[in-house]
Amino acid sequence: MSFISLDSVGKQFLSRRATTAVAVRNFSLQLNQGEFFCLLGPSGCGKSTVLSMLAGFEAPSSGSIQLEGQEIVGSSRERCVVFQGDDSLYPWLTALENIAFGLRLQGMSKRERHAEAFKYLELVGLKGQENKHPTELSGGMKQRIQIARALVNKPRVLLMDEPFGALDAQTRNIMQMELRKIWKETETTILFITHDVDEAILLSTRAGVMTAGPGGTLKAVVDVDLEDNRSRSNPRYLELYDLVHGMIKEEVARSIH
Amino acid sequence: MQKANVAINPPAVPRSPSGSIKSILSLLTHAASFSLFFLVWHVAAVYVVQSVLFPPPLEVFQRAIELIEQGELFSNIAVSLRRIFLGFLLGAAVGVPLGLGIASFATVRAIIEPWTEFLRFIPSVAMITIAVIWFGIGEESKIFLIFYTTVFIVIINTAAGVAAISKNKIRAARVLGATPWQIFFLVSLPGTVPFIVTGMRIAMANSFTTIVAAEMVSAHEGLGVMLWNARLYMQVPDIFVALVSLGVLGLLADKLFRMASAKLTASYSSNS
Repeated sequence: MSFISLDSVGKQFLSRRATTAVAVRNFSLQLNQGEFFCLLGPSGCGKSTVLSMLAGFEAPSSGSIQLEGQEIVGSSRERCVVFQGDDSLYPWLTALENIAFGLRLQGMSKRERHAEAFKYLELVGLKGQENKHPTELSGGMKQRIQIARALVNKPRVLLMDEPFGALDAQTRNIMQMELRKIWKETETTILFITHDVDEAILLSTRAGVMTAGPGGTLKAVVDVDLEDNRSRSNPRYLELYDLVHGMIKEEVARSIH
Repeated sequence: MQKANVAINPPAVPRSPSGSIKSILSLLTHAASFSLFFLVWHVAAVYVVQSVLFPPPLEVFQRAIELIEQGELFSNIAVSLRRIFLGFLLGAAVGVPLGLGIASFATVRAIIEPWTEFLRFIPSVAMITIAVIWFGIGEESKIFLIFYTTVFIVIINTAAGVAAISKNKIRAARVLGATPWQIFFLVSLPGTVPFIVTGMRIAMANSFTTIVAAEMVSAHEGLGVMLWNARLYMQVPDIFVALVSLGVLGLLADKLFRMASAKLTASYSSNS
């Protein structure tokens, strides 16, 4: 039995004129515990909808999604999300209080939860920023808070929805390397959504490519068989890049014509 | 360089030299602007209208000093302010939870929203007669009317504030394990504070309208009574004293609210 299994999952939305819009169609994927899976695809292919269903924000219209054989219903601390923008942080709380928020929900005492949150604040490299409010921090730092806030809850799966999409190239590179490091340290299963092929190959153990939307499905899954210290000059990196990039190019071309 | 434990909130009043120069400048422009206002009033009263029905500012100030010395002005002001304050607090205390409830829970919305939408279109001044019949001409009717003025504005603004909270703030709380009640108290409520303060500010302005109207219709004391009695005895300067007092009080109340809201907004407002 695989850790997470999506079996012929479909999602339809009722649009305004009472016609149904298909967001995801016949999507099947098995995720192994501890892997770093990147889901790629052209805009509008439904990759965010897949994440939304895994997070329990939306229920699939057809098919089933299971975590260790248990059907997923609604949201749960087991499946935490790192959102794309910074509008999920609480501006009235400090960096440390934001990270400790999940522990506070469980009723942990202030001293205990702040001590625990501090470990994760250090893990994401925010030591010294604990008393600042999100508005006082840069985009990269805000995403670090989000990652720490999710990890402190020790989720079984971390769902990341283009978390570095809004960052500048330098910050993005640093964040990618640190995320790899954190993933290795915490051994959390990660599903990471991106449209950036380079990012997917630098980060993931496997990368899945979706077909063009509306109503995208999984086109192919590629094993990213690169060593730990990943470099763009590695010939295997280039091979994988071309392979994945080629698939996406095909899909983008199809969606335009 | 470690900068742990630094103060977070920027000081409300800028301390830099350029900041204090700015505030002195703004004080000067205010003073100049009011001087011009009184000058125009003076010229209009003394040279243009030339009637006892339109006293110049100096005469009004003299009368104000007389009324202050007699203790009449401040006692009227105190009575009106007390009514506003109590009704306003009551209105906010009821309006905030109702607004939060309407925006957060579909059942609460379904039960409450239809008739709050209906009632808010009945002006509070239209309620004066029934308020007097119900509660008499004493304090209760005035406090009820101010409550009535305040509560709907606060409800609407609070509900709008909850609706303005980004979807991701709620979703983040859900995946972090929040119950609906925790989302309500730890996300919706603090996220709505700036909107609540704005609603209270608007309600405060409306309270001034209502209290004067209510006191003119039936009361023993208050600025509205002062206005009404002055009309009966043709004491035009007294009318102007009451009018200027209302302007000053409104301005001060609003200033207080703005200061409070600037402070709250700094720590509660969302950048998204």
